Amino acid sequence: MVLATAQPQANATASPQRAGPRTAAPQSGFAPWKDPKLAPIVRFEGITKRFDDFVAVNEVTLDIYEREFFALLGPSGCGKSTLLRMLAGFERPTDGKIIVAGQDITALPPYERPVNMMFQSYALFPHMTVERNIGFGLRQEGMPKDKIAERVDEAMAMLELRQFAKRKPNQLSGGQQQRVALARAIAKKPRIVLLDEPLGALDKKLRQQAQFELMRIQETTGTTFIIVTHDQEEAMTVASRIAVMEKGVLVQVATPGDIYENPKTRYIAGFIGDVNVFEGTVSKVSDGCIEIDGKDGYKFKTRSTEKVSVGQNVGLALRPEKIRIGREKPATDLNVIPGKVEDVGYLGSISHYHVRTAPGERVTALRANSAHTVEQSITWEDQVWLDWPVDAGVVLTG
Amino acid sequence: MTAKTADYRRWYVIGPPYLWLLVLFLIPFVIVFKLSLSQVATAIPPYTPTFSWATGLTAFISQLNFDNYSFIFGDPLYINAYISSLKIAFLSTLLTLLVAYPMAYGMARAPKSWQPTLMMLVILPFWTSFLIRIYAWIAILKPEGFLSIFLIKLGLISEPLQIMNTTTAVYIGIVYSYLPFMILPLYASLEKINPSLLEAAQDLGSQPWRAFWQVTFPLSLPGVFAGCLLVFIPAVGEFVIPDLLGGSETLMIGKTLWTEFFNNRDWPLASAVAVLLLLVLIIPIVLFQRQQELEREAAR
Repeated sequence: MVLATAQPQANATASPQRAGPRTAAPQSGFAPWKDPKLAPIVRFEGITKRFDDFVAVNEVTLDIYEREFFALLGPSGCGKSTLLRMLAGFERPTDGKIIVAGQDITALPPYERPVNMMFQSYALFPHMTVERNIGFGLRQEGMPKDKIAERVDEAMAMLELRQFAKRKPNQLSGGQQQRVALARAIAKKPRIVLLDEPLGALDKKLRQQAQFELMRIQETTGTTFIIVTHDQEEAMTVASRIAVMEKGVLVQVATPGDIYENPKTRYIAGFIGDVNVFEGTVSKVSDGCIEIDGKDGYKFKTRSTEKVSVGQNVGLALRPEKIRIGREKPATDLNVIPGKVEDVGYLGSISHYHVRTAPGERVTALRANSAHTVEQSITWEDQVWLDWPVDAGVVLTG
Repeated sequence: MTAKTADYRRWYVIGPPYLWLLVLFLIPFVIVFKLSLSQVATAIPPYTPTFSWATGLTAFISQLNFDNYSFIFGDPLYINAYISSLKIAFLSTLLTLLVAYPMAYGMARAPKSWQPTLMMLVILPFWTSFLIRIYAWIAILKPEGFLSIFLIKLGLISEPLQIMNTTTAVYIGIVYSYLPFMILPLYASLEKINPSLLEAAQDLGSQPWRAFWQVTFPLSLPGVFAGCLLVFIPAVGEFVIPDLLGGSETLMIGKTLWTEFFNNRDWPLASAVAVLLLLVLIIPIVLFQRQQELEREAAR
């Protein structure tokens, strides 16, 4: 076993929370993107990819650092897979440069790049056994046979595939195939492992298991992983940083916590987790706070350093768990909206409340069911007041 | 419905094809086999014995013997004709494979919207009679034919080509005629290969040419096998092509059979040649059936 030992890493040190996204809690230690002295392992420089008239990727500039578990997130057709395929070498960028470990690889063919990919379809060679599939990349290097066997065994051990060594891919279940595909992608110990929707074909339960397996492998091998996914929960779970893409453009690159707490645009706010957005115009900007006149006559105030000017149209984003719901009218008029409970989703530990405001908007609030007293709880048709503190909302300009 | 009636009804479905095979294949074969055990005679029909109720079955059978077979094995002409046929069939199968593979590969890799058209073009020759197409090759290959004129005009040769009525012309004719039978199964197996397999091979460090031999070619083997047998089996017994394009040097069993039957009017010997030809071909035919079965199972 000559696997590199993993450096302590934010997303792996603490056991990651499964339910719901992590909060903006300090990403202790591992944050190479904040270190100006560190050179990125992957640098996309003004990458554009056009297919005829269609611009799949538009001027993407992005740095990814060693040992990161980096997620490219976005809906289908947003250009995330194209970006990954350009890094693998299957597509040539129309414009821009790709630099890996200081070397410009833009013109290199796939078989000369220090990256290995795990395909969405797994792309396992149907005429080869599990063993031969995993050893395929090593055989291309002309490695001695005993060395190949050793490395293949190491990869099989890591993914618990030893008992399937002699089977063909069509004799394996979906989950097993997925593990073979991953083993094959890491067997050559590449600098970077690319994962194109690696868990898309698994059912939900297996998928969650596989996510943790991916993190474990990434941690033990200390390799840089770049994953493409359209599943925001998956990205939040596995990634050290997430790049959200929309229509070929990078919209935001940040840690999962940052993306959740400080989404840059309405699109991201809506894409990751549930969110309520109140539209309005800026009425006052003072000492780190922005006051907003809601379009329905409510007054909002929120702490924000967002650069806005008075009169500008903005959105105020509020996560459901940040909204308090109560039957008594709060003492203030700021950040308060009255409404009527339209729907209650009781989920055991928490309840979702869908509240219809007087102007007809629907707001979702979350409440933890900490008290035992079921009778006290708010229910259908109740008149309620929604309110939140000044540091709960996020001002959206985009 | 009871199992019995289900069984009964099953026969309605599989009965007709079995009846068809019995009447049109098995009975003719039995007749040919019987003929091969008979002797030539100057009569109508030109062989003996013929069955009659008067003499009875035992007398009839006692007159049958394997003389024709021992004659065939005793005369190197026939053995050579078999060997030569197998050799010509084998080589032309190989040539057909070499010509068809790049074509099928190109078809499978062509844009999806082109593929039906390309398929159409492969099948198009079947719209003209096989015989007419072979006659057309005479016009191309003869010394004063299109090919010679064209090559002389280009300045590549100064003398007309002497390939008409040679074994070379037979190879050209077989490769041309059986090309679609090779292309179609090859295309079918190449088209099924997931393109991401090749990407994966390249991603893992395999150069395109190696990726072809490590991934594409092994995965196309069922098509190679099916195509080769579809060409080899009929090519062994081919008569029209060696007759029209080949010369006296071209020894093929189909031609020998024809000569025995029509020129020598030796029906029994011709039948023995035919029965032996069938025995020779049974091995590749069984192989072909076996492989088709494996294919079907793999598809399930």
